[in-house]
Amino acid sequence: MREDLQSGSTLPDVTLPDHNGSSRRLSDLAEGDPLVVHCYRGWFCPKDRTYFRNLLRLQEEAEVAYARIVSLSVEPPEVSAAYRAGLDARWTFLSDPDGAYRDTLDLREGTDTVHDPYVPTVFTLFPDLTIHRIYNGYWYWGRATNEELRRDLREITHDLRPDWEV
Amino acid sequence: MGERWCWFGFVDIPPEGALASADTFTTDGEPAGLLAAWPAEQRKQSGANRLDRRVIDPEGPPMALSLAVAPRGVRVLFDDPAVVAATRAVLARRWPAFVSTLVRDAAHIAGAVTGIEADVAQRWPAWFDTDPFARLFRARRLRVGPGLFRRVTAPVGPVHQRYAGLPWPVAGFPSA
Repeated sequence: MREDLQSGSTLPDVTLPDHNGSSRRLSDLAEGDPLVVHCYRGWFCPKDRTYFRNLLRLQEEAEVAYARIVSLSVEPPEVSAAYRAGLDARWTFLSDPDGAYRDTLDLREGTDTVHDPYVPTVFTLFPDLTIHRIYNGYWYWGRATNEELRRDLREITHDLRPDWEV
Repeated sequence: MGERWCWFGFVDIPPEGALASADTFTTDGEPAGLLAAWPAEQRKQSGANRLDRRVIDPEGPPMALSLAVAPRGVRVLFDDPAVVAATRAVLARRWPAFVSTLVRDAAHIAGAVTGIEADVAQRWPAWFDTDPFARLFRARRLRVGPGLFRRVTAPVGPVHQRYAGLPWPVAGFPSA
């Protein structure tokens, strides 16, 4: 990963197709809410399928807690759409089929020469794409647990909402 | 916050300063009334509700609509599990051209309007069956325009809650 990507720096903005094939700019997706950007290898990866099951449990909370999730891979929109539907995920999947954004972030996983996927990585972000924390999930245990994501989303929300103390 | 929603409903004549209006027709081609949208700052008209302002476009293409409206006297809370299930279904499925809930007041849903380009509905008549809000309220199947609605991108998800009483899926708190 690029060395300048760390807590307090800004994740580079990008425009990519979503699972509907619509062009979306990452910085437009937060709309004032905390944002979790989750880079994953692909539908074929058993570690990703396991991790998605965690995110699906978090979805039950994020959907009522004003927090956004975006999953990002090199898979084309039609594959992302099918995977998303099969998972019962209700958040946005972005597609980076030529890997340009993956390379911008220096997140190409060198060990999988078949798919050239992202290194599994989770960014917790403020709405302006300021990075709160980064989780390198190359080794499965490096991925953000739901408890860690709850903590991050609580901290970001605390800073974002002027009426937190009401 | 007013620019994020507008008034929307059937009218006899478009209100002065209307954002857009267009005649509607049933799927059999029978006239079904004039739909109009007008700014939030203007006076509400009888039967009108709040709608996502982004879906209105006087240059928009012809659309097919599933217009699911709560019957007069029926007051369903936005927090009703059936409403939550409908919004979840919208997020889970392939996005049409647009969806906006209709807001009656701070707590109650008045219905929803779901649209897709008319040529798509022509090729896919069963599209009307896919509207989750049609399971809550009887839905009218209409054709409208051009000149009233436009395609918008899907909500990011997974949030199904409203932001300060705005019509879902309008997002963002006023202070953000």
